Amino acid sequence: MTRSRSMLWLIARRELALSLRSRSIQMFAVLFAALALMVAASGYVLSGGSGFQDFSRTAASLVELLLLLVPLTALIFGVTVLTPDVGAAELLYSQPVERRTVLAGQLAGVFLALTAAQAVGLGLAGLVLFARTGFDGLSGYLGLAAGSVALTAVFLAIAAAIAAGHNSARRARALASAVIIWLAAVVVIDIAALGIASALPSGLASKTIIVSTLANPAGAVRTAVLMMIEGTAAFGSASMALVRFTGGVASMSAWLVLSILVWIVAPLVVATSRLRKTDL
Amino acid sequence: MKVVEAVKLMRVNFTLLAFAICTPTLITLTLPQFAAAQDTTGHTEAPPSRLERRGPAIDASPLQARIDAAQPGDRIDVAAGTYTGDLYIDRPLTLVGHGRPKLVGSGHRSVVMIRADHVTFDGFDIDGQLGGSLSDDTAGIHVSGHAAVIVRCRIERSLFGVYLYAADDTVIDATTITGILGKDPGEQGSGIHSWNTKRFRLTGNTIRYSRDGFYLQSSSDGFVLNNRVSDVRYGLHYMFSDRNAFEDNVFERGAAGAALMYSKDLTFRRNSFLHSRGFGSVGLLLRACDNVLAEDNLIADNARGLFLEGSTLNVFRGNLIAESDAALVIYDSSLKNRFEGNAFIGNLTPLRLSGRRTDTVFDRNYWSDDTGLDLDGDGVRDDPYRLSNVFDHLRGNLSAADLVSRGLGARALSAAERGFPVLRPIPVLDAHPLARPPVLSRVPAPPRAERGGAGVGFLAASAIGAFGMATLTLGRRLGRRNAEAA
Repeated sequence: MTRSRSMLWLIARRELALSLRSRSIQMFAVLFAALALMVAASGYVLSGGSGFQDFSRTAASLVELLLLLVPLTALIFGVTVLTPDVGAAELLYSQPVERRTVLAGQLAGVFLALTAAQAVGLGLAGLVLFARTGFDGLSGYLGLAAGSVALTAVFLAIAAAIAAGHNSARRARALASAVIIWLAAVVVIDIAALGIASALPSGLASKTIIVSTLANPAGAVRTAVLMMIEGTAAFGSASMALVRFTGGVASMSAWLVLSILVWIVAPLVVATSRLRKTDL
Repeated sequence: MKVVEAVKLMRVNFTLLAFAICTPTLITLTLPQFAAAQDTTGHTEAPPSRLERRGPAIDASPLQARIDAAQPGDRIDVAAGTYTGDLYIDRPLTLVGHGRPKLVGSGHRSVVMIRADHVTFDGFDIDGQLGGSLSDDTAGIHVSGHAAVIVRCRIERSLFGVYLYAADDTVIDATTITGILGKDPGEQGSGIHSWNTKRFRLTGNTIRYSRDGFYLQSSSDGFVLNNRVSDVRYGLHYMFSDRNAFEDNVFERGAAGAALMYSKDLTFRRNSFLHSRGFGSVGLLLRACDNVLAEDNLIADNARGLFLEGSTLNVFRGNLIAESDAALVIYDSSLKNRFEGNAFIGNLTPLRLSGRRTDTVFDRNYWSDDTGLDLDGDGVRDDPYRLSNVFDHLRGNLSAADLVSRGLGARALSAAERGFPVLRPIPVLDAHPLARPPVLSRVPAPPRAERGGAGVGFLAASAIGAFGMATLTLGRRLGRRNAEAA
């Protein structure tokens, strides 16, 4: 047990070091920090300089940035790491370590690297934000951080489900699937739900939208974080529909967290079982 | 046979009896209304109730003897202390409290009844003992004389705070009225209730927990300045009252900031209508109101910012309307209204239109969700702004649509729909949308959250940033150690 844990940590450190050596994580960190700082600094301008609810306006813009970038990078980094070159794969899996420990270690390493890169951006953006708008949203800010961690975990898990057991020969195909999944989670599911809902009678239509928002991990994170930032009125009367549907604020939060957890655990289960069955 | 006849007879008798009772009742019920309709203003209705009269001696305040002994125009100084009983002021007097004397009512009627002109009442605390009845207009201070001056009073535990009953030229200043917390709005009165009172001045008062903050009915040519009303049903509830001015007031946390009906020639300047967040709540509601000028107001964080129904020729200029679910709700019964130079910021939707069209004019407003370009740099975007997006179309029968309205999918959908309009859009445009938010320096500053906790925020942000930096810099070293270990 301790051995496999230390092996996991070893592999995680290796993965962290590898992704740092390729400088791609640093590039992502710089890009993310630049964008986050831009949003944090220009939020004031966007909000009209009115000073009204500056914090939540800016934080809400940061949520959009997170939703755009974090799933995409998690998927791409995850798939790339989990589809190693043939030689590297042979070397790695020939070690006296369980396959799922290898997978877990790799994922942990990338997870650490990605969240660290995001943390740099979020930390800088937070400093600017608090300096400029004063303080009315520590919980909102922590919600942002938690949201970015959750998105990273969810989409790394999904990347694992796509890529586990493959090597670089299948990388292009896995990356294509990753991009499609990203597009679906971030854009298409919402539009499809709206499309389907507008063809349904009103009660059913609202349920469709609520269920699709809860079931889509990107939607769940967006809803949870925006509500942490702006309170339960974040979506106007739609908030009320959601709260009523889920049976209260507490159980709504529980459903949102559950959805996110399921989207972390289920793909990991798929990935490990895929890895176990694959002939490497 | 006999039984049947008896029943028939009884039925006839009952009918006659019912007729005999109902007809006079109906006549008495309709007469006052008929009389009211004949009133010169056309709006004044019958007096709301009979006036409370002087109570029995046992209910009177110990101060009553001094009033009864005073000459008109006298000044009565009242020392600190508690005075139990009601005051009936029937001659012009000036009463000044020193050290905030406390007047505790008998609980049977209004604590202070002003029944003469030119009464000044300064510096008292008034406790209404939760007594009296709504139908008697029981108040902390009930005024039916002209030109009363009420200053620096505090009124609590009374059904109405101050009731102005045809009390022209009355001034209420720096008075704090606290309604009965937890009492249903229907079971208590308003903070300041004005009926048929002209040229009133209400300044610097604070009202909380009442039914409505101000209720003004058939009260015209008044001035309401610098008051603060919170946690009530309607901050300002209002009908048949013309030519009033409202400046620098704050109305917050009500079912409506202000609900105005059947009135004209009103001005609103630099008021704040905030946090009316309940279902169907509204910041400023105008129903059948004409010639209203609203300038430099802050209308923010309301379920609906501004609501116009059957109201014409109103002008809204330089207001900041922010953070509403719907910034504007306009019924097509509203005609010839004009919005110019306002800033609409961070609203979920700019306009909810009831009906298919409106002739409301929008010009040179700033819309924070407008992404149009201003290539010639003249401060006006090159394309008109359409006050509707695809979500307004969906929202109609899809209450949950807003859940996805803030995602990237919604952005894509809106952009696509603007590029290739397939839905029949609400035909409302701002012809010259501003490219930058206007400087609205006269609009009241939004309430700032206290900065006290900023330190914690800095700490959290620094910790998160430091974790990131540390992991990124140490990660490589860890890897190197790995290699050595291997």
